[in-house]
Amino acid sequence: MPGSPFTPLRRRLALAGGRPADLPAESAQGRRDQASYRPSRVLDGRLAHHPVGEPVAWQEPVAFLDGTQHVELLGYVGTMPVVAAVVRAAVRQREARRTHLAVQSVRRIVLSRAEAFASLGDALAGHELLTLDREEAPHPIRDLERAHAVVDRTRGALELAVARAYRAIAADVWLLVDGTLTVSPEWSSDPRMLGIVKSHAVLPFEGEALEQYLTLPVGNRTSLFQPGSREVAPVYAWGLRLHPFAGRDLFHGLVRIEAAATEATREAVDTLSRHLLAERAPLAADPRADRLLYGIHDVERFLRAQGG
Amino acid sequence: MTLLGRVVATELRPSTPHQFHFWTAADAVLGIGAIVRVEGEGRVVFGVVTEGFAYADLARPLDAVIGADGDPALAGREPTLRAEIRLWSAAVLRQVPEEPMQPVPFGAVTAASDADVQVALRMDAYVREGASTGIPVGVYTGGGLSAPVFLDADFLLGPEAAHLNITGVSGLATKTSAVNFLLTSLFETFPASKGSVAAICFNVKGPDLCFLDQAAPLGEADLALYHRLGLHPAPFTDVTVFAPYKADGVNLNTLRSNPAITDRVEPLVWGLREVLDYAEVLLNRDDVDAKAGAFIDFLAERVVGRKFEADELRGAPFEVMTFADLDEFFRAIFDYLEVKSRGSEVWRTHHAATIRKVRNRLGNIATRSKGLVTDDGPANDLPWGAFRDRSVTVVDVAGVDPLAQDLVFARVISKLREHLERRDLGVDHVVVFVDELNKYAPIDGPETYVKKMLLDLSERGRYLGLVLFSAQQFRSQVLRRVTGNAGTTVYGRMDSDELALPGYATFSPAVKAKLAALSKGELLVRHPHFTQPVFVRFPRPASLSGREGIERFPPAADLPFAEAVIQRLRALDPLIAGDAVRAAIEGRPEHEVRRALGATTQRRPDDVLAFFRGCLRRSIAAETAAPPRGVAPLARDAADPFSPY
Repeated sequence: MPGSPFTPLRRRLALAGGRPADLPAESAQGRRDQASYRPSRVLDGRLAHHPVGEPVAWQEPVAFLDGTQHVELLGYVGTMPVVAAVVRAAVRQREARRTHLAVQSVRRIVLSRAEAFASLGDALAGHELLTLDREEAPHPIRDLERAHAVVDRTRGALELAVARAYRAIAADVWLLVDGTLTVSPEWSSDPRMLGIVKSHAVLPFEGEALEQYLTLPVGNRTSLFQPGSREVAPVYAWGLRLHPFAGRDLFHGLVRIEAAATEATREAVDTLSRHLLAERAPLAADPRADRLLYGIHDVERFLRAQGG
Repeated sequence: MTLLGRVVATELRPSTPHQFHFWTAADAVLGIGAIVRVEGEGRVVFGVVTEGFAYADLARPLDAVIGADGDPALAGREPTLRAEIRLWSAAVLRQVPEEPMQPVPFGAVTAASDADVQVALRMDAYVREGASTGIPVGVYTGGGLSAPVFLDADFLLGPEAAHLNITGVSGLATKTSAVNFLLTSLFETFPASKGSVAAICFNVKGPDLCFLDQAAPLGEADLALYHRLGLHPAPFTDVTVFAPYKADGVNLNTLRSNPAITDRVEPLVWGLREVLDYAEVLLNRDDVDAKAGAFIDFLAERVVGRKFEADELRGAPFEVMTFADLDEFFRAIFDYLEVKSRGSEVWRTHHAATIRKVRNRLGNIATRSKGLVTDDGPANDLPWGAFRDRSVTVVDVAGVDPLAQDLVFARVISKLREHLERRDLGVDHVVVFVDELNKYAPIDGPETYVKKMLLDLSERGRYLGLVLFSAQQFRSQVLRRVTGNAGTTVYGRMDSDELALPGYATFSPAVKAKLAALSKGELLVRHPHFTQPVFVRFPRPASLSGREGIERFPPAADLPFAEAVIQRLRALDPLIAGDAVRAAIEGRPEHEVRRALGATTQRRPDDVLAFFRGCLRRSIAAETAAPPRGVAPLARDAADPFSPY
């Protein structure tokens, strides 16, 4: 990092066998309050690095799924917060190198307590009203948190709905999802669906295995493993280093790939990794470009361009 | 209507009443100069595309390098093509309704139709069935269209506005071709209700305008353009080329000298009377001081062309009709000063030095303009008072001395103005075409008579029906009052350095780039009815270009004196026997033959040979009675650079 007051310290760290890095890659850690270990089971012996070979672009159509949410505090009725959100999800399919919209959906919601809605009458007409849990005691700050949680769930549900709608028209096209597949058995069992997990708040290993996991060289994948606590929707997963991390951050360019826990996944893991390596280009114009596939970025930007 | 795109506006690129932006698909058929239509919020807006942008979502160039692992070969193989935009800027041509004038709505953008082009360029005001004053100038070809574009005759030939100026690099024949085509169009479509029109074209270089009556071969594309414009592809039918003689006085100084096409070539010969009125053109400005001017005025008003009695000089009155007569008159004055008045320095208030100076300058004119100015023969001039409707008169001064060119310009334009003021020219409107305005009306340099004439023509000509079609390579180097008075401005392919000058700041970089690479036959036209200039394509002229004309009709070599005389007479009567002419001129002095030839050419008698012989007899008799005397030597004036010694 040019101009950093810690440059000499980084040199000393390197000389002492450490790995110098710059600032952590944005969002690499995900939500810090969720930072934890969730030990996983390596399928074949010990966790190892496997070079996947030269990138190979998918020739057949490939689809990308993502969702967005825009949340704002509208105001208060008494002390009860009223929150509005626009939640969107879409699948864009790539054919002949160009992406186009396949499926999209939007929900415009307002969240608050029933008493607040009652006093607002039809001022919120045209919006879907979601009432916060009556059993929880009203608290302005807790209610805001609850509202955000509901929006998160709404987005997840919308993404599931969009994926379902897409599968109805394209059953055999590879569908790449931004995030984990374990949110739904439907997804985790889909043989042509991949989850691209950028966040590393929840780490699959500890100790020596973690170092092995986080020092994966570029163009390499880890051994397949099965994330822990995913009994409801079990998947196979592997780490894949898209961009070199040397001199940056251990998480730079590292993604966790999830796929259906099937024999077919075990057989295709290198092929899929080579395809995903090819997705490094073009580089997305985004701070998370080291882990964000351009196709996912394309969906996200499309959704944001729809406005509120 | 083909949907092309949508208007977009941001805080940094807002829509205004005069400009808007829109995006299209990458493969939209659209380019700089295309006319588009925007419809929205109850209004229709027409615009012309002035700039285009394309960019992708690449944040930094370095991201492209990283994405391709530093290998340019991999850069084109990304599985997903980057999102990209084609963003266009357009200048508003017209809003319907025009009031209230508002920013362009965020509507759909479609390609303009034929009817849209007519409305967008406000041609609906003057291109009307039965009462049209539209003059086809070319077709607009944007977006796959082929829509005729018209100029308004009222704004091209007056009275609303007038004059046309065209700029373009040399060598592509764009300027000459464009004017040639436009004159064709004008002659065919100028409404009869507006009166008659003729053209006078000054041919100032090579054979450019010498073959306007000769048909050029036209391809299918050109014929289709003529058809689209409603014009007949035919050369001019009424063309006369006037050219001065060469120094020998019998061979014409023009590249249109092939015997097959000399029938429409006339000699341009002026005598003392024609020249003296424009003496200021020919004399250095410094020379024409008050004293010299007064003496020239004295000559013009009291001596030349009338009987002038001066008993102190000689008993018989002077009849000064030619340069030779004038010289005899001067000699009599000097004889008087040196002999009779015993060295006096003054004759009739005019000092000897002034008289000597004027004599030397006028003598110099006859020398430098030999061929145009005759010492003693009859003049042969343009058909003042007898110009015909839709006729083209080419004045070929390409091969003559610049001084003589200046004289021709000044006199022709002055005479046109005089006759138009008196309404006795023969036509109501005259288009004067002058090329090389960089030379004749430069922005800097001395105030020449020609420059003043061109300025006068451009500022006051339209009231008279005197219209200037001018051309130059560098508009920036031409007197702004001349180019600025042109109601219609046309640009062909332009020099990049020229386009970089502030005078072209109103053009967008894209328009400039297009101008710098315009192909032959393409023009950018600015006209009072058009809010923005538009690109048009015009067909190849139906008459031969100079280069083609020279190839098809190679100029004949200068003929020996007798043969040249025979050829000139055969232009009047093709059946004249060469031997008869040779016999008639056998043993006669050349100047006598030239005078007889000049008189015959001017008179155009029914029996050409008889008249020619008659002229020869008269001239011989005159010579017997008063044998020519040499010009008396003058005292050397060391301070006078034009002194003959």
